[in-house]
Amino acid sequence: MKETVLEVKNLEIDIQRKGSTPLEAVRGVNFSLAKGERLGIVGESGSGKSLTALSIMRLLHSPYEIRGEILFNGQDLSLLKDSEMARVRAQDLGMVYQDPTSSLNPVFTVGEQIIEAIQLAEDVSDKDARDRAIKLLEEVGVTDAKNRIDEYPHQFSGGMRQRVMVAMAISTNPKLLIADEPTTALDVTTQARVIDLLNRIVEERNIAVILITHDLGVASSFCDRLAVMYGGKIIEEGAIGEVIKEPLHPYSKALVNSICTMTMDVSSPISAIGGQPPTLLSIPSGCTFHPRCPVAIQSLCDVKIPNLEIVSQGRKASCHLLEKSR
Amino acid sequence: MSTETSALQQSNLLRRVWAKPYGRISITFILLIALSALFADWIAPFDPNELDTENIFSRPKGKHYFGTDDLGRDLFSRVLHGGQIALIMAFASAAIAMIVGVIWGFIAAQFGGWLDEILMRTVDAFLAIPIILLALILIAALGTDIPILALVIGLILAPATARIARSSVLSELQLDYCNAATTLGTPRLRILFREVMPNTMPVLIARAVICAADTIIIEASLSFVGLGINPPQASWGSLVRTGYEQLFNGYWLVLFPAIFILLAIWSLNSLGDQILDVLDPRSES
Repeated sequence: MKETVLEVKNLEIDIQRKGSTPLEAVRGVNFSLAKGERLGIVGESGSGKSLTALSIMRLLHSPYEIRGEILFNGQDLSLLKDSEMARVRAQDLGMVYQDPTSSLNPVFTVGEQIIEAIQLAEDVSDKDARDRAIKLLEEVGVTDAKNRIDEYPHQFSGGMRQRVMVAMAISTNPKLLIADEPTTALDVTTQARVIDLLNRIVEERNIAVILITHDLGVASSFCDRLAVMYGGKIIEEGAIGEVIKEPLHPYSKALVNSICTMTMDVSSPISAIGGQPPTLLSIPSGCTFHPRCPVAIQSLCDVKIPNLEIVSQGRKASCHLLEKSR
Repeated sequence: MSTETSALQQSNLLRRVWAKPYGRISITFILLIALSALFADWIAPFDPNELDTENIFSRPKGKHYFGTDDLGRDLFSRVLHGGQIALIMAFASAAIAMIVGVIWGFIAAQFGGWLDEILMRTVDAFLAIPIILLALILIAALGTDIPILALVIGLILAPATARIARSSVLSELQLDYCNAATTLGTPRLRILFREVMPNTMPVLIARAVICAADTIIIEASLSFVGLGINPPQASWGSLVRTGYEQLFNGYWLVLFPAIFILLAIWSLNSLGDQILDVLDPRSES
């Protein structure tokens, strides 16, 4: 059994509203992450995947209300004081954001920003920090790092900026890296390069990663395990190959079916999932997916909430049909 | 894109303002007025309070460029020395308004919640009272020394500054780099003053320039109604006031100080507008 880095237990996130009932954005999420493991979280917009990531970093403030336990190395992050949390963030956690144009401060050179990240976590002299920053930039594939370190973010392209973000995130050798749609704002070829880069860095340093994405292609080329979120819940979880090859939940099946491949028959339409994702204002009763589910059973799926059951070794899914077939 | 361009624009803000015709004119006027005030002791041909009883109400001619007043004092020298007071006041009040307003607005933006509510409703309360009225009350209560005057005007301009500072911080806090700084373990106040503040500088600089212009208006208005700088000390407002009382003895007594007030206020306001204009990406063709 590998050492567990992160364990999320019964995470619930509500959005408080004045004079009204709170919106339940995340409703009981459980997962754990072993050392060096890479978990992909996929789901539609509003499924709660980004909120889950942000809550681990403790970046959510009011009107968000968070319940449940987030155990990092056995320590509940939600119980830490702000100053202690700042230390954990500085030393053990790293985060890469979606939009590389806004995630770097435009008024400082990339060097200053990386150096600051290093010095916040460790007591390092300016010169040593600079040397390390140059090495980091070289490591993430910035050519001519010695000179480019003194350039401003706007002098970098989107992909290069995302590399700088990765360099900052790993500058302190974190144990856990959270990447919130790190490739969404990049074009496809740059996407592939950034994913390759993450692959290499994470491999070398044995960092556990949570990759938030809505791109199954990106997830499958990077992750070990995949969790599919829908309506604020994890509805299926398992090894990446299994989930993609043989999805169990009707929603995951539909997701996998809607992937475009190069070998597809161009004349046949791309299959799409009918209906709309649930809004937080009116979460369907019973199984959240039942209004869009092609195989929903009346007076069962729309009434009873299915549990996330262990189906086989390392494989979980929440669907009444699976329970029935067993 | 806006964050990107603002960084680019910031580095050569003055150069880009200078490139605009109005920017160039206003910078030139401001420099002229500032230099003439700074070096008033050398430029002015007479002591501002020196009496020349043989030349009472002299027209602008000969050695008296702007003419003389009822006591034969040289108006040109008095206007230049009045500029010193305007300059000191503009500088001091703008500085006070910026320091108080920025801290006020930044705290409101950063901490939010009830603190934000209290601070911003206080701003609303201040803005509901006409500036001149507020100034009159405070000056009447506190006195009319230059430091007190500067402090009062600075404090009166602080609430509006706080509102501008707050909104510019809020729009920056939305951006991921602030979250990124948090995830790196940067303390909150450090994020606010080291990461966010430089990004709001252009807006704040424009506000400071406009505060300086407002100070000159307020000081002149207060002096005009007799609650600002006291005679015999020359300030532009008090010069206009005494000139106004003796308007039929000489138009120049009002004309020249009024031209200086006009020029100073116009060029400062215009400079502020030009700075904002340069910063607004939509103004680019």
